[in-house]
Amino acid sequence: MTGIEGVGAYAPRYRLTAEAVKDAWGQFHGAGITETAVPAGDEDTLTMAYEAADRALEAGDVAPEEVTHLSLGTTTPPYEEEAVTARLASFLDFSEDIETRQLSGSTRAGVDALVAGLEADGTALVVASDAPRGAPDDEVEHAGGAGAAALVLTPDGPGAVTDRGEHVSPFPGIRFRPRGSAETTGLGVTDYDRSAFTETVAAAADDLEGDLAFADAVCLQSPNGKLPYRAAGALGVDSGALQAGTTVHDLGDTATASTLLGLASALEDGHDDLAVIGYGSGGGATALRVDAGGVAVEADLEGEAELSYGEYMRIRGDVTPGEPEGGGAYVSVPSWKRTIPQRHRLVAGRCTECGALAFPPEGACTECGALDSFEDVDLPGTGTVEAATIIGQGGAPPEFVEQQAREGAFVSAVVALDGPGGEDDETVSTPTQVLTGEDESVEVGDRVEATIRRIYTQEGVTRYGFKMRLVEA
Amino acid sequence: MRDVYVIGAGQTPFGSFPDRGYRDLFAEAYTAARDSVEDGIETDEIDEAVVANLGVGGRQLGLSAPAVTEHVGLHNVPCSRIENACGAGGFAVRQGVQAIKSGMADVVLAGGFEIMTDMSGDVTKYWLGVSGETEWERLTGTTFSGVYAQMASAYMEKYDATKEDLSRVAVKNHANGAKNPKAHLGFECSLEDAVSAPAVADPLNLYHCCPTSDGAAAVLLASGDVVDQYTDERVRVAGSGAASERVGLAERDSYTGISASQEAGRRAYDRAGIGPDGLDFAEVHDCFAIAELIAYEDLGFCDPGEAPRLLREGVTDPDGDLPVNTSGGLKSKGHPIGATGTGQVVEAFDQLTGQAGDRQLEAPKYGLTHNVGGSGGATAVHVFENEGVAR
Repeated sequence: MTGIEGVGAYAPRYRLTAEAVKDAWGQFHGAGITETAVPAGDEDTLTMAYEAADRALEAGDVAPEEVTHLSLGTTTPPYEEEAVTARLASFLDFSEDIETRQLSGSTRAGVDALVAGLEADGTALVVASDAPRGAPDDEVEHAGGAGAAALVLTPDGPGAVTDRGEHVSPFPGIRFRPRGSAETTGLGVTDYDRSAFTETVAAAADDLEGDLAFADAVCLQSPNGKLPYRAAGALGVDSGALQAGTTVHDLGDTATASTLLGLASALEDGHDDLAVIGYGSGGGATALRVDAGGVAVEADLEGEAELSYGEYMRIRGDVTPGEPEGGGAYVSVPSWKRTIPQRHRLVAGRCTECGALAFPPEGACTECGALDSFEDVDLPGTGTVEAATIIGQGGAPPEFVEQQAREGAFVSAVVALDGPGGEDDETVSTPTQVLTGEDESVEVGDRVEATIRRIYTQEGVTRYGFKMRLVEA
Repeated sequence: MRDVYVIGAGQTPFGSFPDRGYRDLFAEAYTAARDSVEDGIETDEIDEAVVANLGVGGRQLGLSAPAVTEHVGLHNVPCSRIENACGAGGFAVRQGVQAIKSGMADVVLAGGFEIMTDMSGDVTKYWLGVSGETEWERLTGTTFSGVYAQMASAYMEKYDATKEDLSRVAVKNHANGAKNPKAHLGFECSLEDAVSAPAVADPLNLYHCCPTSDGAAAVLLASGDVVDQYTDERVRVAGSGAASERVGLAERDSYTGISASQEAGRRAYDRAGIGPDGLDFAEVHDCFAIAELIAYEDLGFCDPGEAPRLLREGVTDPDGDLPVNTSGGLKSKGHPIGATGTGQVVEAFDQLTGQAGDRQLEAPKYGLTHNVGGSGGATAVHVFENEGVAR
C-alpha cells in the first residue's frame, strides 16, 4: 500500500507580528497567533508549492521521473481559472504523462489532495500551499499566514495512512469567498462557527476506528490559534497533542496547508503517531490516522525578517503601482513558452559538434559556430557569480517596476552555471536575479543555487522562472 | 577603391529640448553640416542619405529616414534608417563610406537624431530598455546601466580597480565638456563630487553614467573624385572598421573587454596604416565610465588592466599624449542615441580642421572615433586623417 516517503515544508521568510498589526489598527483579530508568514513580492502559492515539493522530493530521495501523480490543494491559486499544476509539474521536471489534480474551494482541499494521492497508483506528490487574505480589518486577514507542505508517497513508503474518516454537514456562511473577490470572509456568528467546526471534525474523527488517544500529535485544521483547542473535548485529546500538530501560532492560518504543515512540524519534533484532520467550510472534514515512523522530513519554516505594517502592505502589492503604461521591447507569451525548459529547469544544450555547453541552447555554438545542433543537458542548478549589480529604486525595466516597488532594490547578476559535473567542471553563463536576505550582498565569486519565483506579470499573465539564492558558505 | 573625405560636419547642441521636434533638430544639424562645407554645397548635390536613429521614443518607427530627409528638402534621394542602438551613427558613416567606395554615390549625407527627454517617465522606461538583450537579460530585470555595472563589477574584481578610477573619467570629460558650447552637461565636477554621487546601479553612480539627450548631428562625405569641388581641406576617412559581438553579456567570452571594439579597432588601424601610437586624439564611447576604461584597452591605448593608470597619469587629458573625448564625450556632451556616432565625427572634423575652439588641439593629423551599440553588440571605429598636416 502507498505510504509516505518524504515530507517537505516551506514558509516565506517575512513575518508580520500581531504587535505590528495592533500598532496599525489598534487591535489584532488573529486569536492565539503571535506572528504570520508573508510571501515575498515575487512569491505566491505556486512558488511556495515548488519550494515545499522540492524539499519533499529531496527528503524522500525520490527522482522526478518516478512521480506519476501530482495533486495540489490551495484556496488561493494565482488564477481563479487556469490550472497551475502543469507549471508546477514543469518546475519539478515531472513527466508530461503525469496525472494531475488541482483541488480548491475549501481549506479541506489540502487533506483531500493527500487522499487523492493515496488513491493514485505509483508514486505521488501531494502539495498544499496557501496564503489566505481577508478584508484589512477582519479576522481572516489578521490570522492569514502563508506556507506550503508537500508529501511524496511511494508504493513502499514507510509512513502508513492506516485509517480514514470523512464527514459532511451543510453549514453555510462560515467562511466563503464570493466570485470575483480576493478576500475571504464569513458572517462571524461565533457560536455557530464554533459548533460547525467542532461537530464536523469530531464526526470525521469518530469515523476512525477507536479513539484518538494513540496520537502524539493531532494535526487539526487551524483557522486561528484558539479554535482547534475548543475541539479538544469533542475529540478527546489534550491541548498538548493539538499544539504539537499545528504551526498556526508562528505562521498564521495557512488554510489548505494548515494540517500538512502541522504534520511536517510534528515529524520534525519526533512525533510518529499522528491524527490529521482537515476541515473546510461548507462544511466537511477528513480525518486520517498516520503512522509516520521512518518518514524523512525537510522543513524550512523559520522567519528571518520582521515587517512593519507599511512594508507588509507594500510587499503584498496593496499600495504599489503595477506595470507602467507604454510600449517598447516585448516578449510575447508564445515566445516565453518556447523558453520554458530553460526558465523552469535550466535545460542547457551540448553542441553535438564540439561538446561545448550552451544556455539557452539555440543559435550558433559560441565555441565552434555550429548552428542549432544541441542535445539537452540537465544542469544541477548551482553556479558562481561572475558579475553583479544592484538595480536600485526607479531604475528597473518596466516589467520589474512592480517587483521593485514591492521588494525594493534587487541584485541582477551574471552567473556561471555549473555543468552536469558540478562545481569545478565546465560552466555556461546566464543573466539572473540573485535573492538576498537581510544584510546580504552579492559579490563576484559567491556560490548560488536556483529556485523558482515570479519573474514578472504582463497582460495578466505571470511569467515564472528561475532566480538564484546565495548558498550558505 | 576611391578615397572618401569628410567635407563638412555639424550638429545641434545636445541637451533637453522638449519643445522641439525631431525634424527640426535634424534640419539644424543638416544646415550646420552644409554651412561647414568650405565652398558650399547644394541639397541637390547629395546622392544618398543614411540616417541613424533608435526609436524617436516610438513616434516614427517606420520611415523615420525619409521623414527627416524630405523635411530638409532631399527630395527623391535614396535614404535609409540604420539601427544599431547607440552605435547607429558610426554605422551610418560606414554605410556612407561604402556607398561612395562602391561608386554608387559621390556625395552622401550620414546623419543621426534622437528625441529622448520629452517622454513621460513610464514611456522612458520602455524606450531606454530596448537596446540590451531582451529575452534573457532584460527579462531577468537587468537595465542598460545594470549590464555596464556588471561589467564594472567584473573589471574591478579582476584588476583591483576602484570607484576613483571610474570617477576620473567623469572629471576629465566634464572638464572637456565645460569648454564645449554644444555640451548637454557643460559643467566641471570634482573627483569628490564624482565619487560620492548617488548610486544608479552599483558600482556605478550618477557621475559614472551619461545623460539621455535630444539632438542631431550630420556628416557630409564625398569621393576623392569630387572633393575638390567642395573644400581644400583634406580630411580623409583613413580607416573604417566594424564588428559585432553577442548582444547579451552572459553569452560572451569576456566581461572586461568588448570583442567587437577590439576587432573594429584592428580593422580600422589596418586600413589606415597606423596603430594607436599614431593617433593624436580619440572620441570613445563613454556611455558609462567603465566603457571608457574598457575602450582604452580594446583600442590598444594600453594593455588590459592599465586603463586606470592612463587616467591617473593624465595620458588622456587634453595636454596628455593621447587626448580622449575632448568634446566632453557622452558623459558631458550628451548621448542622443542616434546622433552620438555622427556627433563624434563632428568633433573629429572640428579638431582636424582647427575649428574646435577652446578645445582645439595643436595641429592633429590623426583622430579616431569609437561608437558602440548597446553593451557592445556592434562597434564602428573610424580613423580620420588630415592629409594636409605634415608629420
